[in-house]
Amino acid sequence: MTLLYLTVVLFLIMDPIGNISSFLSLVADIPPQKQRSILLREMLIALAAMIAFYFLGEFILNVLETSMTTLRITSGIILFLVAIKILFPSVDSLRANLPVGEPFISPLAIPLIAGPSLLGTIMLFARLEPSHLSMLGAIVLSWSLAVLVLLFGARLQRLVGASGLMACERLMGLILVMLAIQRFLEGIQQFVKSCYA
Amino acid sequence: MSIYALALMFFLVANPLGNAPTILTLIKDFDFERQKKIMIRETLISLFIALFFQFFGELFLNLLKINQYALSLTGGIVLFTIALKMIFHPPENLLNSKAKRDPFIVPIAIPLISGPGLMTMIMIQAREEANDLKITSAIILTWVGVAAVLIGAPYLQKLIGKRGLIALEQVMGLILGLISMQMIVKGADLFIKTLP
Repeated sequence: MTLLYLTVVLFLIMDPIGNISSFLSLVADIPPQKQRSILLREMLIALAAMIAFYFLGEFILNVLETSMTTLRITSGIILFLVAIKILFPSVDSLRANLPVGEPFISPLAIPLIAGPSLLGTIMLFARLEPSHLSMLGAIVLSWSLAVLVLLFGARLQRLVGASGLMACERLMGLILVMLAIQRFLEGIQQFVKSCYA
Repeated sequence: MSIYALALMFFLVANPLGNAPTILTLIKDFDFERQKKIMIRETLISLFIALFFQFFGELFLNLLKINQYALSLTGGIVLFTIALKMIFHPPENLLNSKAKRDPFIVPIAIPLISGPGLMTMIMIQAREEANDLKITSAIILTWVGVAAVLIGAPYLQKLIGKRGLIALEQVMGLILGLISMQMIVKGADLFIKTLP
């Protein structure tokens, strides 16, 4: 897997565009200068969680002796369900009933940015991708992209409007569905091959 | 499989982190000392139930002539459903009873800690692993972890909040999803190999 592939996938799952509106509503009452520092703090926490899960994931999956087949099939299914939720948002999603007040760790860092699907994908990639360097590089790159998107979130929202953002998010959801199906089928392929072997 | 892998599996299926908020609401009316006592008692009861299933489960399965692949597929499907629930739904309140009644065995020991998923899991592993002692020690190791989490739960909830607990549960659900899928794949594999 190339660095570009990893970065794009992680960026899509982080879904910063979809998180702009929840972030803006969370910090609506806070002066802009402070908003920026809150955002940076929360994103740094999310980055720490991602890196922690990268190493933890490698360890746990090794202990459990999970095979690549299982990893592909499971993460395909989970990613598919997550993407479907992005495509058809429901009332009981993570973004409904956000608490008011300054966010600390939850809900912005975890679970909106570093949610279960992102952490799970990172754990999966930790097993699939042997090189630490490109994996960590991809994490940092996609994270920086997400920070940029969120930093200019207010401006972006003014530019394309709330419905434009939503449309962008749906489009990304669609790409995620395709990724999920692709991964699931790769898992099935591997399983069938192992049966004949 | 090593004892640690087994214990990790059982721990994930017992899902103490996900169950902690529910259990805490159940016993919140009692004073702190009593809460601790209830926790310890319920953990011990569920431990005995788990051990019971380890030793008598196999007898039962043999009696019913249930094959390895059927067991593996069932366990995988049941656990995968549980994992999906852990990932996509916040723990629902099984019990909205507000009565200040001592929760004896039901619902903490069964089904919150020793639920159907854990029983299937233990039966499967007990059948696969010839060494009884290994399974038993893995179960006991798991219960040490479960007890530690449950007793520490009030502090943990104060530290990371309810949402934090839910996020942790979701991640555990993911790992559980992997384990259950492994069981499904294995069951399917075994079944395909029995075909002529």
